[in-house]
Amino acid sequence: MKSALRMILLAMAACFVLGAAGGVWRDAAPGYRWSFPADLAAHPDYKTEWWYVTGHLDRPGGETLGFQVTFFRVGLLPPGKQTGRTAWDPRDLVMAHAALTDPDSGRHVFSEVIRRTTPFLGGFGSPGDSMLAWCAAPAGTPGKWTLVHADGVFRVRVRDNAQDLAFTLTCRPTRKPVFHGDGGFSPKTATGDVGSLYFSQTRMEVQGSVRIAGRGTPVTGSAWLDREIFSNTLGSDQKGWDWAALNLDSGEDLMLYRLRGKERHDDFALGTFVDSLGAAAPLPGNAWRLEPLRWWASPHTGARYPVAWKLTVPGRNLTFRLEAVLPDQENVSALTGIHYWEGAVTVAPWENPDRIIGRGFVELTGYGEGSRPPV
Amino acid sequence: MIRLWWRSLARSLRSGRTLFLLAVLGVALGVASVVAIQTLNQGALGAFDGSVRAVSGRADLTVLGLTPAFPETLLVPTLADPAVEAAWGLCRVDAAVDGVEGLLLDMVGVDLLAPVGLPLEATLGAADPGDAQAGILAAMVTPGWVAVTPELAANQGWAVGDAIEVSSGSRTAPLVIGALVDFRTLDPMAPPNLAVMDIAQVQGLLARPGLLHQIDIRLRPGTDTEAAAARLGVALGPGVTVVTPEQRQQDTRSLLAAFRLNLTALSLISVFVGVFLVLSSVQASLTIRRREFGILRCIGATPLQVRALILAEVGVLGLAGIMVGIPLGYAMALANLQTVSGTLTNIYVLDGISNLTLTPGVVLLGAAVGLCGALAGALWPAVEISRRDPLVLLAPVNLHEQVSRIAFRLSAVAALAAIAATAWFAWAGSRTNYGGFIYGGIMMLALPLVVPLVISLTAGSARPRGIGPALCLRNLAVRRQASTLAVSALAVTVSMLVGVTLLVAGFRSTLISWLDVTVRADIYVSSKSWARAGPEATLDSDLLAGLRSWPGVAAVEEQRRMHLYTADRRFRIWLNGIKVADIPGAELATRLPLKKGAPEAVAAGLEHGEILIGEPLAQKARLDIGDTLVLSGPSGPLRYRVAGIAYDYTSEGGTAFVTMPTLQKSFPGEPTSNAALFLEPGADQDDLLRDLRAAYSDRPLVLRSNADLRREVLAIFDQTFAVTGTLRTLALIIACLGVALNLLVQARERAGELGLLRSLGATRRQIFGLFVGEGLGVGILGLGLGLVGGIGLAALLIVFVNRQWFGWTIRPAWAGQDLAQQAVIILLAVVLAAVVPAWKAGQADPLTLTRDDL
Amino acid sequence: MLDTALAFDNVTMRFGGPGNAGRLVLEDISFQLAPGDIVSLAGRSGTGKSTLLHLAAGITLPTAGSIRLAGRDLAQLDESRRTTLRRLHLGLVFQFFHLLPHLSVLENILLPGWIAGHKDAALNERAAALLGRVGLAGRVGDPVAQLSGGEMQRVAICRALVLSPALILADEPTGSLDEKTGRQVMDLLLELVRSEGCSLLYVTHSRELAGLADRRWRLHDGHLEPEVPE
Repeated sequence: MKSALRMILLAMAACFVLGAAGGVWRDAAPGYRWSFPADLAAHPDYKTEWWYVTGHLDRPGGETLGFQVTFFRVGLLPPGKQTGRTAWDPRDLVMAHAALTDPDSGRHVFSEVIRRTTPFLGGFGSPGDSMLAWCAAPAGTPGKWTLVHADGVFRVRVRDNAQDLAFTLTCRPTRKPVFHGDGGFSPKTATGDVGSLYFSQTRMEVQGSVRIAGRGTPVTGSAWLDREIFSNTLGSDQKGWDWAALNLDSGEDLMLYRLRGKERHDDFALGTFVDSLGAAAPLPGNAWRLEPLRWWASPHTGARYPVAWKLTVPGRNLTFRLEAVLPDQENVSALTGIHYWEGAVTVAPWENPDRIIGRGFVELTGYGEGSRPPV
Repeated sequence: MIRLWWRSLARSLRSGRTLFLLAVLGVALGVASVVAIQTLNQGALGAFDGSVRAVSGRADLTVLGLTPAFPETLLVPTLADPAVEAAWGLCRVDAAVDGVEGLLLDMVGVDLLAPVGLPLEATLGAADPGDAQAGILAAMVTPGWVAVTPELAANQGWAVGDAIEVSSGSRTAPLVIGALVDFRTLDPMAPPNLAVMDIAQVQGLLARPGLLHQIDIRLRPGTDTEAAAARLGVALGPGVTVVTPEQRQQDTRSLLAAFRLNLTALSLISVFVGVFLVLSSVQASLTIRRREFGILRCIGATPLQVRALILAEVGVLGLAGIMVGIPLGYAMALANLQTVSGTLTNIYVLDGISNLTLTPGVVLLGAAVGLCGALAGALWPAVEISRRDPLVLLAPVNLHEQVSRIAFRLSAVAALAAIAATAWFAWAGSRTNYGGFIYGGIMMLALPLVVPLVISLTAGSARPRGIGPALCLRNLAVRRQASTLAVSALAVTVSMLVGVTLLVAGFRSTLISWLDVTVRADIYVSSKSWARAGPEATLDSDLLAGLRSWPGVAAVEEQRRMHLYTADRRFRIWLNGIKVADIPGAELATRLPLKKGAPEAVAAGLEHGEILIGEPLAQKARLDIGDTLVLSGPSGPLRYRVAGIAYDYTSEGGTAFVTMPTLQKSFPGEPTSNAALFLEPGADQDDLLRDLRAAYSDRPLVLRSNADLRREVLAIFDQTFAVTGTLRTLALIIACLGVALNLLVQARERAGELGLLRSLGATRRQIFGLFVGEGLGVGILGLGLGLVGGIGLAALLIVFVNRQWFGWTIRPAWAGQDLAQQAVIILLAVVLAAVVPAWKAGQADPLTLTRDDL
Repeated sequence: MLDTALAFDNVTMRFGGPGNAGRLVLEDISFQLAPGDIVSLAGRSGTGKSTLLHLAAGITLPTAGSIRLAGRDLAQLDESRRTTLRRLHLGLVFQFFHLLPHLSVLENILLPGWIAGHKDAALNERAAALLGRVGLAGRVGDPVAQLSGGEMQRVAICRALVLSPALILADEPTGSLDEKTGRQVMDLLLELVRSEGCSLLYVTHSRELAGLADRRWRLHDGHLEPEVPE
């Protein structure tokens, strides 16, 4: 079964079954008129979207923790094709991933849920609902995983008893949303005709509690929310992407992504630079370079991931050393068979690796066999 | 010794071919009946087990409703349990296929995203048909996508992409064959009518939104299954039960226990009769070869060696019987597949048997029965002959062997055994589960023991006045030992025949008079998928409204039939909610013949929410008027005061009746499953039926007239007992073989006597007549004794066994015509069996008179 | 009344092979037995005495030649007719008596009558009378197993005579009896045969008993020769 869902998702991607069957998914296009808080909620007209929260949590008497919570919505039938006869109608899948990295113990814990959306197993709120996304916790754990937005605050709640993973976090944005690309349309190819609707809450103050070694521990910290909405898939010659989201102590933020082609290392790349006042500017692919310095081979999947980089942004006169807080921050999804690296990193000046001047998250997909992401 | 054994075996085979063949046939038929019945029994269980394993093979636990369906939201607390690794809901529906008479798909609606592990192949809509998993998504989103088994598709000529129409209750749905799923790869006994759809489609098209019929659970490795089941039982509330696959199989086993036991008991009679056959053939062959054994003993063979020689020879006979019997039994099982399968679906609401396999267990059992039967039959003669003085063996056969003295002793033993058994049965046995069978068994064993005495008393006193019946009887009496075996075998068989005939006849006539009272409406309406009374085979309210306002229809009675458990989970009963037609004579209390309770009181009780229970339930659960029947309801126990007890023959498991308002109080919104129409006086039933059929030709309805319904009920009844017919025939054939064998032996043993008669001028025809007469004598004695035994057996079956195992009141009916017919058949069969031996006897040559004879 | 009870005309009997290949037992035998004739037949073992009796009784048919019993040519009759002829015209007495042990003394004597389909009281009277003449009047209902050898043979003689046959064939009737009893039984047989007026052909090895016959024959090398009394 492990490979079954991967195959489904691949089928969605490669064969475009639903697109072919329905043909009514809306494509992400430039000129999208954003509206809040409505655009925080789900967009059923689009096939795929996600709410991606990553961040760093400080706790009393220990190293900074890294965390990730993601809710994916994968549309099965476009609204016009749904029958509405039963709760089981194949509208969407809700897929949720949660991870916690503890450099002290060297543990990276990953938990996941994948369900068909039903009123009792999981779903997404409509515009106006405070519940943005939720699903019943993994089998064996009572309760729900939730992502709520109310009173300008995001609340995340995740629990997996079998993995001894739980956190409840409140994330308060301290900046306005940052729209990537062209007013929030972020192209994925050089021609610019395929892309996603994409914005981020780059800086959020976090308060809450995390379960560490069986005990609830109060934490504070910072987090980044990515919201991406689209209907297309990776180009057939693309095999994955590298993505980084960095918060510098100076108040500047950086979002960088690059799609890796099967032939070329850089198929397409783009970034966004946010200055200390919160003003964002696109960072074209040729304006920055991210070079792997060190590789780590996963004992779980055999995939080799870079875990240290040299980042240079010549136009801004920036050269950094990015270093994973733990090499093994690989998420291996037993339910879908997908694996990817999603890890907390520290940012240091290139010339002084010991002085941490910022923190961030890096996502690496499409490394190793059978790891091409389905979207 | 081995070499001697080979020689001796070869010789006995050469000299006694017919004898040997008959004995082999006797063993073979006994083995065959056991193999056939056990194969069918296994098939019946296998059909259920196979479907359980094919659908829920990956599940450690299963949640089943104590009511027909339960809310799907129970999935949430199920998933929350710490031991649960995965859980998925199933929505199961019997779906009738339009245009295919009698085909019900066992439709499994499952969340295809769940780790159910179905081997889907050639999926419609998937870009790459060779990629099995790629199609799951297509299965979810293609309207009407259904996966069927390759076997069913081949039988029906379906291919992937073909459209079919199915119905559940009065709903219909167009489906498209989306894939072939071979459940046989999951379980070899998986029924071919299993079909898989996404849960959304089954629930939306054919069942009821919001309700599940089953949740399958996979536990984390290393968890305590019992504890998890107990915890889940508490968490999920009173409406469901959490069981292991083993428990589910156990439930079916106990559900079928009575049915299987009866068949097994009948098949054992064939074995019993077969043992007689072996006994007489071995006895005969030893008599013929006594001189051989005498010589062996004289030259120093010990009794033990002689015994071993004989038993080893019989072992070969047993083996030959097994070789023939096992395939024969399997063939018989195949021949009876349809009827037994029909019984399972009609009476026990289970899967029909789709395939039979000869399991190693059954083969082993058949072999054991054959070998033990043959050895058991040979033991006494072998011991007897090995003990004899060698000189006695060498001397000419003395016809007056010690039987006459033994006859009385044996009869005394039989009488004592019968008295002791009766006393035991009266004091204790009748209250135990198997008491009736044990008692019946002892009485059947005692029957042969009185045979020598009966022969002495009847045949021994015959005064021959010529070559006629009296001389035949005298001859029987003289060869009492051989005659006893033949008569006994026949008597036991006839007892069984008569017993079962009287039981069936009584049951049938009781059923007919019950139908006269209960089946009173003019037209009965149900859906095509109602055959197994599935919870989703319901009738739409608009349909019912249409029927109510149909011209000529005076009133419509509605019924909801639900399978429910008693609160203690000991019984699973049918609860019928009935919305009585508002016309005189249709009142429930007068419609169901009451065993206990006054009609007015019962009617009043029902109006006040009380319950009327069927006799089998009252019997099994020991309930009386005023007691409380507690059923498992959707949210806790439902308590009903028993208003009365009605005669009921609709189900073995138990039936109860309440008014529709009473039912709906506990099960709000439960739809109607059947309707019955009462016509206005003067309305023409045939015309109306024709018009209704025409008007509703697009709905999957079954409309039956009153007469149709009765006919079908009786057809089901007859089908249920059809398998006993095969067993009866088999036992009869074995018994007739016994008669033939006995006479063949006589033709051999009495060569001298026959030679004398021939030399005194008796014609071949006279000798032939003499032998046929002797066969007839055996027939008449066996018939007489069997009739007595059979009446006793019938009484035991009707009064005790049936009451205990089924709980029905059966009024005895004297099936005079049936019995007379059977008697004629038996006598004819016996005469036929005597023909060959008699012809052989007629060939006796006067020249065979030698110094040793007589 | 016919003038011959039994006639052999050039009778030849071979066993065990077709045509002339078989073993020759009897060769070209001719004789006639008139009503009332009493003939003894002697010969070594295996010379075909029993075969001759079987031929005479119509139990087997000769290889060549013709046999007439009660005036009928046996070769012209089918098996069933020969049996009926035997039943009506022949009485048989065997060395080993051959009584049916499960029948009483009287019933054994009545047996030929039963076979012939006679059920009248006259048959019972005749059987009783015969028993009286052999001195067993008091043993009518006894089981035959309780009789001595001589008594058994006397019962067998009664059985042979009960239907008043024209001819009695007796195969060593005293062969199982001691000398004294044998003589008594033989006397009784001859007395009864003479008083009934039927013919008797008996096989014996005893010169003394052979001497009681009207004529004495001997079988030698398949040929029948008159035996000259000493």
